[in-house]
Amino acid sequence: MKKKCLFFYEEDQGNYVKDLLEVARQMYGENFESYALVINPLDVNVISGFDYLLAVKDQRLKDYDLINITSLMAECQQVYQFDAVIVLATQLGRMLSPRLAMRLHVGLVADITAIKSHPDGTIEMIRPAFEGKLLAGIINDGDGPTMMSVRPGVFLDQQSTAKIPEVLACQLQTIEDTGMRRISQIRKPDSRDIRESRVLVAGGGGVLKDFDQLDQLAQALGGMTAASRRIVDSNKADRTIQVGQSGKTVHPELYIALGIYGALQHVAGLNKVKHLIAVNTNIKAPICSLADIVVEGDAAEFVRKLTTRINENKQAE
Amino acid sequence: MKIICLVKFTPDVDQFQYDYEKNILIRENVKLVINPDDACALGFALGLKKKTPEVVIEAVTMGPLNVTAMMADILRRKVDLATILSDRQYVGSDTYATSRIIGKYLETADYDVILTGSHSRDGDTAQIPGQLAEYLKLNQISQIRKIDQPSMLNKRALVEVDSEKYLETYEIPLPAILSVGRESNYRLPFVRYDDLDLDVSDRLRIIDNDSLAVDSKKIGLKGSPTKVIKSYPIDYQKKEQVIVKNDDQGIDMVMAFLEKEGYL
Amino acid sequence: MTKEIVLEGLKKLLTNEQINVDADDLYDATADRYKKYAKAKKVLDNPSPCAIVYPKNSSEVSDLLMFCNQNQVNVIPRSGKTATEGGLENWKELAVVIDGKNLNEIVNIDTYNMQATIQAGVALQDLEDELRKVGYTTGHSPQSKPVAQYGGLVATRSIGQLSTLYGGIEDMVVGLECVFPNGHISRIKNVPRRAGGPDIRHIAIGNEGTLCYITEVTIKIFKHFPENNKFYGYLIKDIDTGIKVLREVFTNSYRPSVARAYSEEDARQHFYHFHKDKCVLIFMAEGPQAIVEATGAGIEEAVEKFQEGIIEQVDSSLIEDWFNHLNWSQQDIDDEVEEMINNDSHSGYTTEISADWATVSQIYDNVIKRIRSEFRFADDLTMLGGHSSHSYLNGTNMYFVYQYTINCEPEDEFRMYHHPLQTIIVEETLKLGGSMCHHHGIGKYRNQWTRQEHGSAYYMLETLKEAFDPKGIMSYGNIYYQEDAAKYQQ
Repeated sequence: MKKKCLFFYEEDQGNYVKDLLEVARQMYGENFESYALVINPLDVNVISGFDYLLAVKDQRLKDYDLINITSLMAECQQVYQFDAVIVLATQLGRMLSPRLAMRLHVGLVADITAIKSHPDGTIEMIRPAFEGKLLAGIINDGDGPTMMSVRPGVFLDQQSTAKIPEVLACQLQTIEDTGMRRISQIRKPDSRDIRESRVLVAGGGGVLKDFDQLDQLAQALGGMTAASRRIVDSNKADRTIQVGQSGKTVHPELYIALGIYGALQHVAGLNKVKHLIAVNTNIKAPICSLADIVVEGDAAEFVRKLTTRINENKQAE
Repeated sequence: MKIICLVKFTPDVDQFQYDYEKNILIRENVKLVINPDDACALGFALGLKKKTPEVVIEAVTMGPLNVTAMMADILRRKVDLATILSDRQYVGSDTYATSRIIGKYLETADYDVILTGSHSRDGDTAQIPGQLAEYLKLNQISQIRKIDQPSMLNKRALVEVDSEKYLETYEIPLPAILSVGRESNYRLPFVRYDDLDLDVSDRLRIIDNDSLAVDSKKIGLKGSPTKVIKSYPIDYQKKEQVIVKNDDQGIDMVMAFLEKEGYL
Repeated sequence: MTKEIVLEGLKKLLTNEQINVDADDLYDATADRYKKYAKAKKVLDNPSPCAIVYPKNSSEVSDLLMFCNQNQVNVIPRSGKTATEGGLENWKELAVVIDGKNLNEIVNIDTYNMQATIQAGVALQDLEDELRKVGYTTGHSPQSKPVAQYGGLVATRSIGQLSTLYGGIEDMVVGLECVFPNGHISRIKNVPRRAGGPDIRHIAIGNEGTLCYITEVTIKIFKHFPENNKFYGYLIKDIDTGIKVLREVFTNSYRPSVARAYSEEDARQHFYHFHKDKCVLIFMAEGPQAIVEATGAGIEEAVEKFQEGIIEQVDSSLIEDWFNHLNWSQQDIDDEVEEMINNDSHSGYTTEISADWATVSQIYDNVIKRIRSEFRFADDLTMLGGHSSHSYLNGTNMYFVYQYTINCEPEDEFRMYHHPLQTIIVEETLKLGGSMCHHHGIGKYRNQWTRQEHGSAYYMLETLKEAFDPKGIMSYGNIYYQEDAAKYQQ
């Protein structure tokens, strides 16, 4: 018999929810049926890739009403007896999944990053612990469905089928008044913080005159520019993008240090940077000791060359 | 008004050392610290108490008895009561079992609101508040960055939430579980110099399972539906450094690196 | 006497532009870098001065001092404002800061007699820049060089990073002018040497504002040969090996301008890119070619003698690069304030002591051991170490450096961390006969040990105060312990 998997579908995260099909695939191969549950959808026709769609239309049910959404999902569980419930770890998903797990009396593994399916059918869910310093392999040995949450973008839907799901009727039986209400919802201004950027293109004294050009490289790499104290002190950049003891502590995956000397005060602001490329005319500068790649030479020239190359590559694709 | 703050003590992750030869993370002898989000929640409660002295704050934690000194420190920061749920049988409880233990205590406790952190630093999870809310049948909301003080006293809390794309304001009738995020910047005050040795033993309670009486089949390792079967060290490798010139060859090298590591 | 009356009195002596009562500036003048964290967080609890005044000449200084002396107003002499030991902190309800800002003239540069005369408010960097244009140097290079001014440098017995060649400030001062609380202006003339009784220059040098106000100094200048500089760096087994090599070099009469041994922890702060978790020993040989060659040979010989403690030699260009990035500036000071305000952290503190060759390593070990075992918040320490950076024929200094996570309110920071740590360092030093301050001065937070520092000779120090400042209006709390102000120290 095919395994049944339930996916909680948030419309504005559609593609990420679809990616969760890959989790099911890694657990059960092709031997599963996928059910997406969506509440008050604007347009069911854009939902694809799943076998079935449980579309609930009930204007009393708000998208933040966790108590009643939990009841709805528990009722669905009763009817369909899912083997796995997979929730995207969004703000909503992170609140919903533990509540549902408690309602169903099952364990929950949050933010999994990998799945191992053992020959005996055991599903091992792997997740980071201690701020990513360790990975833990976890099994669920209670009764009821295997429940997990997955951060957006961790798994990628490899098959990406455009399968049109069969819509199944679904209605919440009893709704209770939680007394909670949303008073306002404002879209956040798109001001990004260098602490949240995966790639930082940072400049120091060596690019004082050409600091403006760093932005092109940052854009080509989908990152942000950051600055050393030298740059901020010379009024070439705002203190909000300064890295270091008197600025911000950042933890990008890639840090490109352009003409940065690397005094300890600067380096103190680099926390768990995965890759560092240092460009400096002085390869004895302390920053170079931390780099995966040291480029000996003028940093501004490097920025121009690398930006051109990346953009050429993009056009060629 | 009575506030219960749930706190957890977690190892100070930054202090972990890595043994490159054995490829293991050294977790021993690392200091325990109060979970940062929980500290923000406590910080908010203490701020409210400072303005409204009739507010009574109880800090509740579950853990081994070596957290006693840290709970005493919390009392020296002007929290009124501290409760430690501690029993050898609790060791190894997953979040499900833990929620049931804490939930059992809270069922009988007196409170107008429960404050927690959003996120726990050691497990990178955010499960206990949601699970507890379900256990206690309360509303719960995470990632709070601001709580309106007067609304708390009026029993209909106005909270500002930082969801990924929006800033939202909710009204939530109390009692409820309000989970505060680090972005709130509510700061837990430190113990003042003059209070460093304050005797707080009369305000600190330790409750074991003889008095709490949670079904012993539902607690500890055996009462936990999820089990860690294996831990995988992350493969840290010491870096091999390459030095290149700022010429075509050098740019090729950098491009290849960016490609290989998935930055392009 | 009230603040208003003090201000009235000042207005009779100076123009309005010379009197500063700006609230932010007065708050800034309430404390120095000893209480930098509480200061940045705006929680200082000691009184602010009534005014900061800027006299234009020594006769105005004389008038001001007489006024304050008559009216029992505390005077805090200041110039440069880089004090680290409480010397510029105020402990009196009525106080006036006399700032040397307007005493800013380079009076004379005399390359034939190898001396320069400058007023108290001349910045060391400015004089150095002038001298470099003509091929000379002051030879004085404290980390505070870009900010420090001559009045402060002389009043605190400052020392620079090239002291092992050029000496401390006390070796450089030829003559000076100073003003006493009774208004008397003394000028000590400029001669190469004298045997005219005790050397009275030393009543002014290092007085920390407790005896007189220094208005002008004449200092030695030196020919500069930067093109000959040679650098040496070594990773070494332990700090004691470093001390032994330093001793070997200096007792053989070599005078490198830089000679330093760093503990592992301190080395990480400066040399994280090459120190490999080892102690670091560095030298710089400076001067005419032949002297540099000879000094270099002397260094190599000393290193050779203690080779069992030497792990490896470091590429000398790394040491040269370090030397070229030595000093901090006003921007560094301001940045640390930003750091304290925004990030609740600072870059730590230092306590500098000196001792003879035989005991300095023992003091170092005792201090580190005692801090680790006895200091209540030892767990919060993120860095504890030190370096020797100023050596002499008879011994050397030890510069203890400590940083910690601040787990307390800003009001409590100095009594929970800085002061207990400094106390251990001072006590262990005095126990073994060393000096509790090598070059920052006593300031206000080591005055409880001044008597112990000097022993029976404290009589001389005490008598100077009685003679020159009988009403005790000069820098109340500096050097001399004050029972009434102990509340600010605890």
